[in-house]
Amino acid sequence: MTRITLSEERKESITKLLHGLYYIFIKDKKGLLGFTIIMGFAIIAIFAPQLAPYNPRAMIGRPFEPPSHKHLLGTNDVGQDILSEVIYGTRVSFYVGLTAPTISTIIGLLLGLAAGYMGGKIDELISGSIDVMLAIPGLPLIIILAAYLGQSLNNIILVLAITGWVGVARVVRSQVLSIKERLYVEAARAVGASDSRIMLNHILPNVMPLMAAYVILGATSAILTEAGLSFLGLGDPTAISWGQILHHAQVKHALQLGLWLWAIVPGLMIALMGMGFTLLGMSMEEYLNPRLRSYQAA
Amino acid sequence: MPSSFLVRRSIRLIITFFIIVILDFLLPRLMPGNPVAILVKQSGLPDSAIQQLTKQFELDKPLYDQFIAYIVNLFKGNWGYSYRYYPTPVKDLIFQRLPWTLLLLGTSSITVFLFGVFQGFLAGWRHGTKTDSTITLVAVLVYAIPYYWLALVLQYFFGYKLKWLPTSQALTFGAVYHNFLDYALDVARHLVLPVTAITLTAYAAYTLVTRNTMIDVLGEDFIVTAKAKGLPERKVMWHAARNAMLPPVTMLAIRLGHMVGGAVFTETVFSYPGVGLLIYESIIYKDYPVLNAAFFILAITVIIANFIADLLYAWLDPRVRYR
Repeated sequence: MTRITLSEERKESITKLLHGLYYIFIKDKKGLLGFTIIMGFAIIAIFAPQLAPYNPRAMIGRPFEPPSHKHLLGTNDVGQDILSEVIYGTRVSFYVGLTAPTISTIIGLLLGLAAGYMGGKIDELISGSIDVMLAIPGLPLIIILAAYLGQSLNNIILVLAITGWVGVARVVRSQVLSIKERLYVEAARAVGASDSRIMLNHILPNVMPLMAAYVILGATSAILTEAGLSFLGLGDPTAISWGQILHHAQVKHALQLGLWLWAIVPGLMIALMGMGFTLLGMSMEEYLNPRLRSYQAA
Repeated sequence: MPSSFLVRRSIRLIITFFIIVILDFLLPRLMPGNPVAILVKQSGLPDSAIQQLTKQFELDKPLYDQFIAYIVNLFKGNWGYSYRYYPTPVKDLIFQRLPWTLLLLGTSSITVFLFGVFQGFLAGWRHGTKTDSTITLVAVLVYAIPYYWLALVLQYFFGYKLKWLPTSQALTFGAVYHNFLDYALDVARHLVLPVTAITLTAYAAYTLVTRNTMIDVLGEDFIVTAKAKGLPERKVMWHAARNAMLPPVTMLAIRLGHMVGGAVFTETVFSYPGVGLLIYESIIYKDYPVLNAAFFILAITVIIANFIADLLYAWLDPRVRYR
């Protein structure tokens, strides 16, 4: 039997991390591509005031102007510059795309840990809730919650957190069940480590990397859902988001008027940012879960 | 199929059903303000109607009495009145719209299945080649495309630009049909773009699952034997394909929840007169009773479909053992 000391465990985890970064960014092109796309959007979000030609809230032109040199994507129904709106919209997508999955991943992590580690009645209750949540169709549930909570970005994040924890909790629960049986956890228990110590020192570090992948993967669905809710008229009317721009394009019949860039560009942004997060998240998940890997890393 | 499995699944179905009902019951009552006051304000009735309607809807009774009355009414089909079209019963609105949504979902389930599974077979059969990686990558990227955006793109190019297909509604306005074929053709023409939009954004899951199953099946003994026997490639492929069918078939029901989401957006873009468009309209006009009923009917359809799929799966595949 090999003896594993704590310092060796740490050293091992650092090597693992380096190997992970190597896999995601150098070996697997998906990860690098996704990361590049996200960084591109991050630069747009940070430098939005410098990049946007106009203040996105200012009515600087006539309504419904077609694209021109002055307004590359034209103006909307109240004469605001659409390009400037699209640039500022990056910020909302990042805000929702990162906060919502972070909150739901933390909820899922805690519930998954509780179910997996404590077992018994607690496990039954949490697993039952997971089953029920999986059975109710997601979008109608999100729509009805958002409709009653009222239109604000933070309410949308709340709804996404309420509905988003399920997948994470399920994975964490099964991970904990397998880690619990490993030798070093048994050893820790044998020398009298408390439950909270075992969780914090031995189980948590093992599930943390997977959590990072889930935040990134969850970002895609958060961005898509926020945009979808806004498109349906359930978004925050005071926020400048891509979904909100699309909503106005739809309500004001942009396509009939031939102002197709008004609708196509914000949708393209949503799809691109979603792809960036999906590619990076998949690459991370593949590294962490070797069963998913299409080829074995050397 | 063990009966304990049937009992467990039935209990879960009933619990899920009640959670949906409780949500539907509580949400309007947790809202600030009396729903009747909103109804009166929206429908332009005199203020004196508030008291009378509160009594009529039994909103002055304790919550548990209301809940029991609510359940009874639910089963009687008494789902309240639309705020927007008062006094049209909500049920009438829903059942006017439901057939169109079922038509849209039914048709796109078939096309999504055929399109997705075919690509999955191909990718699995050519595992490790360029065909495989191209199909897989495209499927993954399509995951991130919003339903409504693709719908808008299709609507713009094929509807407004090329004018090949109608851009909205389910029937041509004011059209006169001489026979059933005429009618069916008109319906079909209006279905093409919405169905294409849902298909292109929802097929990817089928492709990925079929591909993985196909790879597993191809590694099994009977395929090796078939190849060793010198069976023609086409026959081997058919052998493998038949055995890789089960997961995608059961996915039809599992993915129904996602398809419903797709229908909401697609119907909105194409003004297709289904339950999805009704949801959109009730959001815009704050017609909460209609929104509740639409949520109820969609959620119930999906959980019952999933329940049936669970049973079918257990029945079809003897290898599946449930606790």
